[in-house]
Amino acid sequence: MLKMNNISRIYQSDTIQTHALRDFSLNVKAGEFVAVTGPSGSGKSTFLNVAGLLDNFDRGQYELDGVSVQGLKDDELSRLRNEKIGFIFQNYNLIPDYSIFDNVDMPLRYRGFSASERKRRVEEALEKVGLASRLKYLPSQLSGGQQQRVAIARALAGEPKILLADEPTGNLDSLMARQVMEILHDLNKGGATIIMVTHDPDQAREVSRNVQVIDGQLADFRIYAPLDRSTGKTVSAAVKEEMADA
Amino acid sequence: MNIKALLKSLLLRKFTTGLLILQLAITLGLLINSAILALDTNEKLAQKTGLDAENILIVSLQPTSGNYRDLDYFRSIVSEDLQTLHKLPGVESVSLVNQLPINRRGMLGNVYDLDDPESVRKDKYLQDVKIFLTNEELGKTLALALVEGRFLTKDDELDFGSEKNGNVLITESLKKALYGEGSALGQETNNGRVVGVVKDIMLDPTIPIDKQYGVFGNRVMEYVFTGRNYLLKVTAGHIDKVRNQVSDTILAVQPERDIYRVITMAEHLQRFYRHDKGLAQLFLMLCGLMIFVTAISSYAYSQFHISRQKKFIGIRRALGARKKDILLYVLTENWLVYSIGCVLGLGMALAFNILLSQYISLSKPDMMLFLLASAVIFVAGTLATLIPAIKTSNIPPVIATRTV
Amino acid sequence: MRSNSMFAYNLSLAMQSFKRAPTLYFLIMLTLSIGVGVLCANLALVNSMASDPIPEKSDKLIHISMNTWPGDQPPDEPMHILRYRDAMKIAESDIPKRSAVFYASGVYARDVDSTSMKRFDSTVRATTPGFFKLTNAPFAYGSAFEKSRGMEVVIGDDLNQKIFAGKNSVGKTLELDGELLTIVGVLKPWVLRPLFYHVTEGRAFNLTDDIYAPLETAIDLGWSIHARSSSADNYSGVEDTRDKNAYYLQAWVELDDIHQRSAMQSYLDNYSQQLKDAGEHPLATRNELHNVNEWLTEKKVVDQKVLAFTIASVLFLAVCIFNASSLLLSRFHAAKFEVGLRRALGASNRQMLMQGLTESVLLGLFTGAIALVLSWLFLKLSVQFLPRLANIAVLEPKLLVLGMLLALVTSIASALYPLYRANRYTISAELK
Repeated sequence: MLKMNNISRIYQSDTIQTHALRDFSLNVKAGEFVAVTGPSGSGKSTFLNVAGLLDNFDRGQYELDGVSVQGLKDDELSRLRNEKIGFIFQNYNLIPDYSIFDNVDMPLRYRGFSASERKRRVEEALEKVGLASRLKYLPSQLSGGQQQRVAIARALAGEPKILLADEPTGNLDSLMARQVMEILHDLNKGGATIIMVTHDPDQAREVSRNVQVIDGQLADFRIYAPLDRSTGKTVSAAVKEEMADA
Repeated sequence: MNIKALLKSLLLRKFTTGLLILQLAITLGLLINSAILALDTNEKLAQKTGLDAENILIVSLQPTSGNYRDLDYFRSIVSEDLQTLHKLPGVESVSLVNQLPINRRGMLGNVYDLDDPESVRKDKYLQDVKIFLTNEELGKTLALALVEGRFLTKDDELDFGSEKNGNVLITESLKKALYGEGSALGQETNNGRVVGVVKDIMLDPTIPIDKQYGVFGNRVMEYVFTGRNYLLKVTAGHIDKVRNQVSDTILAVQPERDIYRVITMAEHLQRFYRHDKGLAQLFLMLCGLMIFVTAISSYAYSQFHISRQKKFIGIRRALGARKKDILLYVLTENWLVYSIGCVLGLGMALAFNILLSQYISLSKPDMMLFLLASAVIFVAGTLATLIPAIKTSNIPPVIATRTV
Repeated sequence: MRSNSMFAYNLSLAMQSFKRAPTLYFLIMLTLSIGVGVLCANLALVNSMASDPIPEKSDKLIHISMNTWPGDQPPDEPMHILRYRDAMKIAESDIPKRSAVFYASGVYARDVDSTSMKRFDSTVRATTPGFFKLTNAPFAYGSAFEKSRGMEVVIGDDLNQKIFAGKNSVGKTLELDGELLTIVGVLKPWVLRPLFYHVTEGRAFNLTDDIYAPLETAIDLGWSIHARSSSADNYSGVEDTRDKNAYYLQAWVELDDIHQRSAMQSYLDNYSQQLKDAGEHPLATRNELHNVNEWLTEKKVVDQKVLAFTIASVLFLAVCIFNASSLLLSRFHAAKFEVGLRRALGASNRQMLMQGLTESVLLGLFTGAIALVLSWLFLKLSVQFLPRLANIAVLEPKLLVLGMLLALVTSIASALYPLYRANRYTISAELK
């Protein structure tokens, strides 16, 4: 699904050269849930930016879902981001002036879907994260966890090949964080490929694969057994419960 | 493009958007009315005068010496002037008149048929009919078109102190006012007996086109001191040559004259509307400045909002918006503002039109003008915001993952 | 002392601010000064046109319009021009302190002793002698003529410059259309804006006359009427008008108070009634008295085109202020971190406001300086477009002050909302 081979990303300033990524190689298979950890400044953000085609790289090869991305034009990169990647950001990155519906709808518009297709997808995605009833709300009217779920819905609506999550629970309290994580795990169970940057070792331990970035290089491979999830509830059931509590 | 969402985000910055919209509206209002003024003036300048204006030269002059108090002397000099001018190559005919066509007041008098003096009460324009004292050449010089009867002849000329009114030519609209559709030939007016009717020419542009009442009598030699204007009909292409020679020619006959104006009839028309034109030009200049200022504002407005929206543009880019999507997004936002500004501007144009018409006369705005002026606003605004818009589309998507 | 040093500090901050965003402040100054300049140029025109040309007694000088037309269709009602016998009726009245009856004419003039035959086109005021004291005409040499008849003239400064190079020409003889008249007085440069004694026929902004001649003499000499005349009778020349129904004379009287004014009114009304009783005038009596400013208003001396353009320039200035406002808003927004920092370090709201105001006042002063130059330019430009206004396109000192004030006010006005906004930026939000 995602193949990085000897990727280097060098930031150049007047006096110093910083190797944010140095001969970085990683291969993520379809259906994997990969947690990327590492100390701050290690290059994990750069990795995510490069992986998400938000930033370019200086050397190496990168293949996303069978498409080699080096040398692609800006428009083609936009298209790839739009179609193949779903982003989940630490601070949600919802557009505050837009309603929930409009936020989820936004990337679909760039995809060129018809209005009815967009409507169907937005509602379906919001259904998946349990926010189908809040279409007209503004982000500011939702809790942080709910906002992040909107962001997940936005990422899902385009049916991407891979989800990239950047500290998705970084701004959330533990309860909300757990709900978000549950959604991600459910999605993974449903077949989604997920790469998640996190600093939380517990979260890292829960996933199928954990990689660590140190000094711009892949430091270690440790594969943990998925955590036994005792509740056995489906995600949407959990969310409904939460809503009933509210 | 999600227009509804755009509108909503505009509403969230009411003040700056409001200011720009107001500016656009005022600019459009002024632009439309300035264009109206300019068009009105052009229309006035282009209106039919019934004269071959390019080929008629007007020489206005005044004797400066006391000798001219002797009217016989005055007349002899004038006769010599007329003959000498006529001999100039390119001059087809020369006549002398007390006043020019295309003028506001001048020598006016009431005109009525001797059998019907009351007619003056029914038509106020009959009280102020232009009375032309001229000679037999006028019909030829102005190339008047005869409707019926004949032009004035040498025999119609009246001498000093004549008790008679003599024979007159009248304009067609005056004939209609006095005699309707019937013939006027042989009718006796208080100004003389009608021997001919000519098609209207533009006598006073400030009164209606069908009220161009004029009476021409062969009396300028009788009142020779009123003969301030020589009119020269010049063969096409000779006007400049003749213009350069006339002053010297006249002064060679007798030097004690002040020739204060030598212009063509076309220039005379321009002169008549000089202040209308000047005002229109002033307004257009102000429009130019206003568009300039509004363009700066549009630029600042875009720049300002882009600086605030950088992050969101980054998010859009991250989520798959292409550069051109962003460009279109920014421009659409501006166009939406311009559209609102233009719609308000229509109201502004009407209000401004009413306000201005308290002071000056101008036509009402029309739809075509509104669309054209709006197009100007759109083009100017788009040009002004193109650079910030392009800059915005260059915002890298990586901004999205930066925390503030 | 503290406030003083605070002011100096604010001033230096303002200068720094200008230096940090020179293009932006330049644009603000440019747009505001264009706006102020255009408006100021227009106001200069309006000011000249609307000003009181003879403030010391404009309320006492009265123009007389009468309605004595012998038929029932007068050209105007009442008429601002009078026939000879009506005007004389006014001139012979004891009620006014003094009166002036005149008409406008024109002659060609040369110094009879000059070797040159060049004759100068001269405007003539054919008037009764009361004119000079009534209008406060300023004499440089000699004095007014004392009677309405006599081969004497007073000349204006312009003509005296042209013919006699500005020297004392009293006693010299002019040849005017073949007649010889002696100069008894020479006026100083005399500016009347508007030319209140003759505002009709579009002459309100003409210069004062070149030659002032005794009325009866001018009539005797047949000096033609160069302004509006209306006649119910035929006449061969001016010399033939005294007993004709030829209307061409204007009359002004100087009345000291309201009693004299009403006395004058009844004097005229009585006269009209006599005419009416004698069957010489069929219409209702309608005599009107206007003092200078009433007369200027009545005759719409202020050019309507200029007024229309003034409205447009007011709107334009509004646009300029809006523009400056949005530019400042973006400037303050860019500087909001600094504002937040200063607030966090203890600057009060008021102090921040003072800093902002200092900046706008400074901006206003620069703007004013540019605006004054621009208004002079625009004035020249206006005269190019509307040449009729050439004689009134002057920037008086009070206009310069007005321009400066306008610049300050606009500069402060455009900063008000941005300042208000800037002071609402919360400290925490900017320093997070």
